[in-house]
Amino acid sequence: MSKYHNFMKRPLSRREMLGICKGGFGALAFTSLFGALPIGCDRKKPIASKPDLYLGPHYLPKAKNVIFLYMDGGVSQVDSFDPKPRLARENGEDPRKKFKVDATQFDNVGKILKSPWDFKKYGESGIPVSDLFPHIASCVDDIALIRSLTSKFPEHTNANYFLHTGSGIQGRPSMGSWMTYGLGSENKNIPGYVVLDGGLIPPGGLDNFKNGFLPASYQASILKAGAEPVANIAPKEGVPNLQEEKLRFIEQMDHSLMGKMGEVDAVESAISNYELAYKMQSSIPELTEFSDETKATKKLYGFDSDDPHTRGYAAQCLLARRLVERGVRFIELTCPNVGADRWDQHSNLKKGHEANAHAVDQPIAGLLKDLKSRGMLEETLVVWTGEFGRTPFAQGTDGRDHNPSACSMWMAGAGIKGGTIFGRTDEYGYRVIENEVTIHDLHATILHLLGINHELLTFRFGGRDIRLTDVHGHVVKDILA
Amino acid sequence: MFGRRKNSCIALGCLIVFLSSCSDRHDFAEPLPETVDFNFHIRPILVQNCYLCHGPDPSGRKADLRLDTYNGATSALKEGGHAIVPGKPSKSQLIYRINHKEEDLLMPPPESNYKLTEREKALLEKWIDQGAEWKEHWAFITPSAQLSDKSTTVIDSLIDVKLNQKQLVKSPEANKNSLIRRVSYLLTGLPPSPEAIQNYEEDNASNAYEKMVDQYLNSKAYGERWARHWMDLVRYAETKGHEFDYSIVGAWQYRDYLIRAFNDDIPYDQMVREHLAGDLLETKRYHPESGIGQSPLATAFFAMAEGTHSPVDIKKDEADRIDNIIDVTSKTFQGLTVSCAKCHDHKFDPILTADYYSLYGVMESTRFTPLDAHWSETKEQTAKEIEEVQAYMRKTISDAWNEPTVAEDKFNSKAKEVLPDTTYQVIGDFRGVDLSGWKSNGVAFGNRTTFGNPIVDPVTGTLLKLKDGHASSRLFGTGIFGTLQSRDFILEKDFISVRARGAKSTIRLVIDNFQLIQDPIYGELEMRVDHEKWQTYTVDVTPWKGHKAYLEILPGGYQGHKYQLPDDAYVEAQYAISYDSKIPQALQGSSEFRSTIDRLNARLKKGKLASRFPELKVPIKKERQLGKNLTSTFFIYGITDGFGIDSPIFNRGNHQEPSEEHIPRGFLSALPQGKVPFTSEGSGRMELANAILHKDNPLTARVMVNRIWHHLFGRGIVETVDNFGLQGKLPSHPELLDYLALTFQNEGWSVKKIIRSIVLSNAFKRSTLHTDALPEADPTNVYLASFPVRRLESEAIRDGILVASQSLNDSLYGRPVATYLTDFMQGRGRPQNSGPLDGDGRRSIYLEVRRNFLEPMMTTFDRPIPFSTFGKRDVTNVPSQSLIIMNDPFVAQQAERMAQRLLTQENLTFEERVTWIYLHSLARKPSPNEVQKAKEFMAMLKKLEAHKEYSEHKELELWKHYCHSIFNLKEFIYLV
Repeated sequence: MSKYHNFMKRPLSRREMLGICKGGFGALAFTSLFGALPIGCDRKKPIASKPDLYLGPHYLPKAKNVIFLYMDGGVSQVDSFDPKPRLARENGEDPRKKFKVDATQFDNVGKILKSPWDFKKYGESGIPVSDLFPHIASCVDDIALIRSLTSKFPEHTNANYFLHTGSGIQGRPSMGSWMTYGLGSENKNIPGYVVLDGGLIPPGGLDNFKNGFLPASYQASILKAGAEPVANIAPKEGVPNLQEEKLRFIEQMDHSLMGKMGEVDAVESAISNYELAYKMQSSIPELTEFSDETKATKKLYGFDSDDPHTRGYAAQCLLARRLVERGVRFIELTCPNVGADRWDQHSNLKKGHEANAHAVDQPIAGLLKDLKSRGMLEETLVVWTGEFGRTPFAQGTDGRDHNPSACSMWMAGAGIKGGTIFGRTDEYGYRVIENEVTIHDLHATILHLLGINHELLTFRFGGRDIRLTDVHGHVVKDILA
Repeated sequence: MFGRRKNSCIALGCLIVFLSSCSDRHDFAEPLPETVDFNFHIRPILVQNCYLCHGPDPSGRKADLRLDTYNGATSALKEGGHAIVPGKPSKSQLIYRINHKEEDLLMPPPESNYKLTEREKALLEKWIDQGAEWKEHWAFITPSAQLSDKSTTVIDSLIDVKLNQKQLVKSPEANKNSLIRRVSYLLTGLPPSPEAIQNYEEDNASNAYEKMVDQYLNSKAYGERWARHWMDLVRYAETKGHEFDYSIVGAWQYRDYLIRAFNDDIPYDQMVREHLAGDLLETKRYHPESGIGQSPLATAFFAMAEGTHSPVDIKKDEADRIDNIIDVTSKTFQGLTVSCAKCHDHKFDPILTADYYSLYGVMESTRFTPLDAHWSETKEQTAKEIEEVQAYMRKTISDAWNEPTVAEDKFNSKAKEVLPDTTYQVIGDFRGVDLSGWKSNGVAFGNRTTFGNPIVDPVTGTLLKLKDGHASSRLFGTGIFGTLQSRDFILEKDFISVRARGAKSTIRLVIDNFQLIQDPIYGELEMRVDHEKWQTYTVDVTPWKGHKAYLEILPGGYQGHKYQLPDDAYVEAQYAISYDSKIPQALQGSSEFRSTIDRLNARLKKGKLASRFPELKVPIKKERQLGKNLTSTFFIYGITDGFGIDSPIFNRGNHQEPSEEHIPRGFLSALPQGKVPFTSEGSGRMELANAILHKDNPLTARVMVNRIWHHLFGRGIVETVDNFGLQGKLPSHPELLDYLALTFQNEGWSVKKIIRSIVLSNAFKRSTLHTDALPEADPTNVYLASFPVRRLESEAIRDGILVASQSLNDSLYGRPVATYLTDFMQGRGRPQNSGPLDGDGRRSIYLEVRRNFLEPMMTTFDRPIPFSTFGKRDVTNVPSQSLIIMNDPFVAQQAERMAQRLLTQENLTFEERVTWIYLHSLARKPSPNEVQKAKEFMAMLKKLEAHKEYSEHKELELWKHYCHSIFNLKEFIYLV
């Protein structure tokens, strides 16, 4: 079974860890994995039901961390990364005369609608990008564009659950949970799976980020801007050193209990958790403190934009980089509230998409460039996607409805072949006609880049060894470097 | 995979130079058993390593070899030889292949990542050598008692057998403080009061422990604790989650039902029956005091699933919903994962896809509906009385007129003329006497139409006229609950119309059982009826042609998916039809029924028929009076029976690929009682309940007693409490499990009795302290030489804090306390207002469970997310738990309250104060050393706070910090 161990060393056993921790508060250097190893919880079992296996990568990973830029509501592919000249030629014609139109949630099918934006070719690869994303366009040579992502659901909530958990039904573990379950985090003081709440929690709510049937330790921690970025992270004592005194007292009393009881792993672990919790209190606020970032860096992200939403998202993106630096495994950014109901432009496509794009374009490009200049892009996978695409015909007159049959997304960074276009849609951009990439494929590919064989990352629940990819999923090899 | 390489096995039998049973010579850590048992030693190896390719599911089977049946394993292989030749390991291909040196021939194949250990190989060989005796999976064999011992010490003697075998030293009995804290928390979820501790400490009677246990078993808090355990099984929630987190109407009344049922120790078989078919029971159970019907409330568990907002594919939505119900039902009551058989036969268990779809039909013919949560025996009788009064009035008149037609029910819809017109179909015609085969649920629509009911002036007794026929929800008055539902039909024509009138009421077209009707997509399927004149209500169903649907007519309606029934709401209908283009004229005109009534009324008007009926004055008054007792204000979302539907099999679980064949409704074929198709006209849930409660059902009692054991010891005798299938764990004490199951079954299914017998055992009373050798000898404490150390559940931690601070509001039942919303709890469907930080001091079971806004303290301490059955909670151990107790405002608030209470006790010395705190939080007195430590700690705090000016608050502050620290002790959240 040694092939499972050739990359990552076996996590410390709890007993070994306790050996390290005997020093008491402030005196230890954990090699433990916060969030990876719910202490006292047996994580040896799941893989292939072999009791002697620990989780860890199955093979050499390309990516250590994932930043998931979630474009909540569904970006229109034909207005962003999948130009369709035919829409301009047939603008205003009845789509039902051209192709079979699927049922949609709103069922208000209008005319074929050309894109309000022009496309230009960028970079050495010449990938066309619309005028919505001039900044991201400048990074196309680092990007693998997938024009053939599909979903199974035309409704936000199911599609969100599907994208986040691999199942359209509420209550399954999210991909971030799976990844921290599989790999852990490299930082003991920060949770391994963080959601940066940019203002909009997607439809389906917090269950998009929950642990489902995995242990609760794998759920996302929600980080928000503000004085207390994570729930209960700030001590409430109000007097310096008071909390430390209390913790010292608690530790003393706990140890005397242990003296009476003898070894009880669970209780010992609970004691050591206080040390971790204490450290998190200082490491999390430090994260959101940007004073050590240069002006140039901040400018790159868009901190000096006139648009408050750009500034807000810039802060999220910078925070994401800082989380990556600290070894956080999976970071998701939710969308800022630009007042247009996410990317979900059932009407007013032009205004809504422009407002959203303006908020995220520069910060995302800034993030890619910053990661690259720091050499971090090589081991960080950046994923940009919505839950589905939009229709090439109008909803009403100036909106677009949901379209699970085609969606454009891109990935950049670790293990990704930049300047690639993969997959093809029909001449209207309505359906995928070549190299379909399902959500399961996307998950399999992300896991692959993290060094995980998606078929082997399982958890026994309800009598089945369940996977993020259910019984599906193929790694999209063509976009890999 | 067996025999992947062609011709690989040519005459292998003679080539084998066997390792010839040398395996016994291996020096295994645990020696091989004397007799190798198929269930306990062999099957686990096969399940784990072989069944994916050689198990019950034919779709994935390799080399046509199945190792899950004796016949399969011993019959001739395609490539020659036999996998297993009983008594002859050297002739068994299985033994040959698992020991093969060549990777290509080795089983299991190396690329499967499965590998047998030397001990496993040796076990297989020895078992074949001993004759390869095959047994059915243990859980499918009906338990039988082989015990002559009926004494109260059976539990201990069965546990001792294993302890002696393993030579483990039993820990002594725990001290009284530990015992009372253990019993109090495990039976009621609350810590013992200082008074109870003192009483118990001072009680030296030989039955002191027994008395103490009984006191907790009989406390009201017991029901709250055990109801919450049950709620984990049925994914209890008060909202539907998904996009907008709609309410589940009246869910809390199901929670109250559970609390009452556990407190009243309603026999478990009765509870099962009520859950599965409480609405169908001939003899329903009523609450002895309130008279409120209990049985139907239990069916609410079916309706606790996620509810989807405007799904485009509602057939899939229905399939998903039913899948969840099958999953929850089979795990909860049978400890089986029947859902695994949705797409293919179960990979491990003898559960067929056909079994899954035979259950699917049961659920598909079950309909969701609000129920009158205060339905009572009195109401039932009242309705009957009114019906009798009405029958009497009709008879009085027809006797006087000598016109039997009015009273006798000859005018039913089946008697009506058959129209040659094929442009429309009649879905329901209520102009005769009967309800046209529709189901009248609840009481409002009674069991006939208004046909021939007299309108009598209550003052003079003058008969004014006879009513024509229509279905009416105000037979007994307005504001009375009931629904009128058609049979299922396929949508084939473009339009459906209902001729109706009413006030504040609703007509709904329910397609594929989809209930959350609203825009976008479905809005028009629900039509509001709010006009006293007859009108035609029409819905265009062209988008849903080919789907299955039923019509529902009901007084009141849904607002934001909450059912409401105003006092003056009523609805009446004449007929419902479907048609393609235009509403057919023929139907709109007068009918045969109508002309009868018209003729009589005309004669009455002309004075040709008697109109003076003074004898009806009293009945009329009585009718009106009684009707007022039938109104309903409390509702609970539950189920009612539809019409039996046998489902096709969906190919690989895909609802778009149904089989031709329809599977008769029924239960699992592998059970000893066999598979009997359900024949009832309705869903068959009653038959399902009977199958689950069949005396030969090997699972029902075992699963429940095992759950009880799990809650008391923290681990079930079968550790996988929701999975008794082949992938589940084997019982650690099979005889004990069977003993408990049989006792349970034979002695009235009393949950309390079983709990009592377990709690009174010595095993339960043992100390958690143990010898140093024990963790090495029995690392997971399977054999219970000592009592396991357990962390308290989220609810018990929060409730324990409330008790310690003396802030617990221990009132029972009622609407949930609104969720306290932090800034981190965002998203659609977020309530406008947050609930109180302290949850009004109510026990955690009364805090609202909003799927999309779950209480962080509850989930962080491992209360499961409510989407499936969780009989066994995780016990995680993470810093976010520490952060909650360290920094959460609720905990700080309670520490302050506790300090306030403490300081209201006058004239306490420092030591007495610490003692007070210890007793309230840890159920024991502090040691002198602990008092000393407290002193030092408080002195330190004083110094830190020294810069603050002196105030009365200062002392409070100090004690608050101390109490807060006590909450943070591990001893506070663990049972030690």
